[in-house]
Amino acid sequence: MTASAFLWALLLAPLAGGLACLACRTARAVLRATVLGVLTAALAAGICIGMTRASGSIAAARGWLCLDALSAVHLLVMMTVFTTSSLYMHGYFQPEILDGALSLKVARRFSALWFGALAAMTLVLLSNNIGIMWAGLEATTLVTAFLICIHRSSASVEAMWKYLIICSVGVAFAFMGTLLAAAAANGLHLPASEALLWTRLREHAGEFDPVLMKAAFVFLLVGYGTKAGLAPMHSWLPDAHSQAPAPVSAVFSGCMLNAALYCVMRYVPLVEESSGHAGWSLRLLLLFGLASMLTAAAFIVFQHDLKRLLAYSSVEHLGIIAVGLGLGGAGTFAALLHALNHALCKPLSFFAAGRLGQMYGTHDVRTMAGALRAAPVWGKALFGGLLVLIGAAPFAAFLSEFLIVRAAASSGSYWTMGLFLAAAGIVFVAVLQRAITIAWGDPVAKPNVEHADVVDKALVLVSLGALLVLGLWIPGPLWRLLDDAARIVRGAP
Amino acid sequence: MNTSIDIIMLVLIVTNLLLLGFSQLKSCIRAVACQGIALGVLSLLVHEDGLTVWTVVMSGVVIGLKGVIFPRLLLGALRETDARHEVEPYIGHMASTLAGFAALAASAWLCSRLPAFAGRVTPLVAPVAFFMVFVGLFVIVSRKKAISQILGYLVMENGMYVFGVVILREMPLLVDLAVLLDAFAAVLVMGVAVYHINRAFDHMDVDQLDTLKG
Repeated sequence: MTASAFLWALLLAPLAGGLACLACRTARAVLRATVLGVLTAALAAGICIGMTRASGSIAAARGWLCLDALSAVHLLVMMTVFTTSSLYMHGYFQPEILDGALSLKVARRFSALWFGALAAMTLVLLSNNIGIMWAGLEATTLVTAFLICIHRSSASVEAMWKYLIICSVGVAFAFMGTLLAAAAANGLHLPASEALLWTRLREHAGEFDPVLMKAAFVFLLVGYGTKAGLAPMHSWLPDAHSQAPAPVSAVFSGCMLNAALYCVMRYVPLVEESSGHAGWSLRLLLLFGLASMLTAAAFIVFQHDLKRLLAYSSVEHLGIIAVGLGLGGAGTFAALLHALNHALCKPLSFFAAGRLGQMYGTHDVRTMAGALRAAPVWGKALFGGLLVLIGAAPFAAFLSEFLIVRAAASSGSYWTMGLFLAAAGIVFVAVLQRAITIAWGDPVAKPNVEHADVVDKALVLVSLGALLVLGLWIPGPLWRLLDDAARIVRGAP
Repeated sequence: MNTSIDIIMLVLIVTNLLLLGFSQLKSCIRAVACQGIALGVLSLLVHEDGLTVWTVVMSGVVIGLKGVIFPRLLLGALRETDARHEVEPYIGHMASTLAGFAALAASAWLCSRLPAFAGRVTPLVAPVAFFMVFVGLFVIVSRKKAISQILGYLVMENGMYVFGVVILREMPLLVDLAVLLDAFAAVLVMGVAVYHINRAFDHMDVDQLDTLKG
């Protein structure tokens, strides 16, 4: 009873927060209310995750809402990103409040959409019904579209339109996949109210029509993969990430892409069970993952716009996660760990890129040369974030990437290992070169003075600290949570 | 029963081919509206075991949304933008219609290869559903005007609706409603987006949205 009450609270907290923001009377108050609302939701999420650990999974609304280890991992990722982004938002929008660009009306609209995105993503993660899960993901596209062009310019409107059309069409494909999956389960004659419940489908996955289920997975992978930014369906991603304000880019990259990939993860055990654990769906994931890594590597080499660089890095990292999932076994665990690491460091990099962009008036890497001296806090944050992103030891992403490589080696897939290392190597060199330019290059432009308050400094310190600690030692409860989640994706009982 | 379902399927095929052939955006919007009404009727017909209140309400909602509200929203957006109201396809109307016939043949062939669809309701349903998805995609990629892309998206969505209603029959009501709500929001958001494009660029030709690259 209490468990279901908390699940409902988690789902409704963002809506309450959105309404509270609409009632605020100044832009600053709106931002403060946003932080408060997100913190409340994060608290509820923390309690729910704790409850899941005690009893395996918790459910509400006659099983239509359900939180198990897999959704708990993604909930953790999402709440981390939303909390840090909301805390960061206050400082980021400060100059715009001062010069009047962020009026009360715009601030209200921004916060309402922000909470809308949070609510939609929470719905994706909590919903046990694969139809509602789809509806939630489609809703994230619609809600976040206008977050991209909160600073109205022709480039941002263009990015918004591409995002809207490509992702809507992509996610529509996922709907076709959902219907095909339901058709594959049609022979079971489940009652209508239970026909699309994931837990019920999981119990009976062995009795599905395997051909239809495979067809469904192709549609689902292409559809949700579009939203997850897997190549070659990633074309919307660099535009949207580069045009959106920094906190929005952070949320896009840190948790929206993961939410889409989470939907794919839900189907992996169903397909594998129905086709006799032949690894068919895993091979597809591997293929898309490697394609994403290689595509991203090719584009990163020639990229000078910092935010586009980070966007392509997201394509690469989602590719890494997909490769980990595709390897199965220990790779699944590593993939989930990597999702968490990515969610910690990509927002940090976007935060720094956003603030440096404000100081320099551009996102061109060459203009930002020597930023470490001009902006001690955000320069360090960016340099550290980039180091983590390319998988430098001893940070956390190195550990998860190492685990994936080891999983590839131990399963004998040397081609995968080779391509993985090649792509990661290219990215390493290309990004490191830019990171060094940004840090110690000869200054070209004269930037504005850096403003970094206590919250900003704490954000940078805590994020980098957490990434360092996670690279050396994973706390026991977190390890067990990730392990349970990996077991759900692998389809073990 | 099956004859009337087949009649609906024919209506859907004809509206799709008309959509490909029409040169005025207004006519295209009307063709898609007819399709919406046909879908509403279809959801009444497939329930042969007696109508419940909910099926009637749902069918009313479908007709109201897809047959009346969406077209009105789109016509409104069209009026706001004082661009020329022609479709301006990359591929001519004649070639588009021929491509439509080809897509119909391809989806019939595709469904004959999938044994799981054999013997479901009538043999026309699954091919028509796939056909509509193909046509929707074709319209999205082959037209310049942003409104045409919304229409393409709607046709795609309609195709999936046919598939869902007929192949599954019993979608839980809540899921049905959520999907419809999403479609509604999508049309609304895309309509507003068209308005913003028109304001930022003074046109709504998506082929000219090409500043962001690489």
